[in-house]
Amino acid sequence: MSNGAHPLRKILLYIDGSESAITAAQFAIAIAKSYESELRAIYVVNEDLLDELLKVKIFVQMEKMDYERDLEEDGKRYLNYIVKIADRKGFKVETILRKGVVHEEVSREVDEYGCDLLIQGELGEVLSLRDSFYEEGERILRKVKCPVMIVRGSDKIEKKYNEM
Amino acid sequence: MKFTEHIDPGNIKLGLEGQRKDEVIEELVELLVESCNVSDADTILDAVLSREREGSTGLEKGVAIPHAKSDAVNKLCIAIGISKDGVDFEALDGKSSHLFFLMIAPTNESGPHVQAIAKIVKMIKIDRFRSKLLKANQPQEVIDAIESAEIGEI
Repeated sequence: MSNGAHPLRKILLYIDGSESAITAAQFAIAIAKSYESELRAIYVVNEDLLDELLKVKIFVQMEKMDYERDLEEDGKRYLNYIVKIADRKGFKVETILRKGVVHEEVSREVDEYGCDLLIQGELGEVLSLRDSFYEEGERILRKVKCPVMIVRGSDKIEKKYNEM
Repeated sequence: MKFTEHIDPGNIKLGLEGQRKDEVIEELVELLVESCNVSDADTILDAVLSREREGSTGLEKGVAIPHAKSDAVNKLCIAIGISKDGVDFEALDGKSSHLFFLMIAPTNESGPHVQAIAKIVKMIKIDRFRSKLLKANQPQEVIDAIESAEIGEI
């Protein structure tokens, strides 16, 4: 936990480009603004997955690099969007884009940033036990060493957020 | 990402007629014209053939996953084809390919495309899954098999 009596000085928001990540962002902005916490948003380019597809020969090297650039651009776009919606509420959000194994990079950022809380969107639908081993939200939940808040209920949150 | 949300019976052809790689790809692209609101089938065909020239997407165990990005689609589009006789797709193991998953993604969003490819790669490793697809008599049986694989029943 970061220094001081305030329990939520630093909040990390994990986004992946999904709609539920937007809901999580709205909730994170609302909480951070209320508690006057620092808020940092993180997106991770899933390099691990790209490497796996290269290994099984689905991708050729050039194509893998092309997709990596695409995913990086996607990530920047998502992060900029979070900055923009926070700005509309008069709140500043820091952003960070990492590359690698998603849950490991998020965990590393949790440690390095020293956050008091990680916020992420509703977990992806896990259709099977097999699937759960690959669902990044689940893996993050298991890996990080800090409290994690999973944000559900998009309609309710959007309504509250718009009233802010 | 749920794979079955991107397919319907109109995207599936059980008896592919093509005997060559380019013919099969053309048949699969044709499936997308109506079902996926494709604006320019020739552009997609060129993109897929161009990608194949970089290296075949024919994998082992009779499966091929031709794919490309194109502005001619505005969402991830998937077509599935099955060839009973098999086609020389220049596969890694040198054997004929029977199961084809064509995936076309819009150029401005690669995330779902990468996830869909990764998901099908996982499914095709399951022997019973491939076997179910090869035995399918109706497109719906293909969808059912994919759904079963997604929920871990296969």
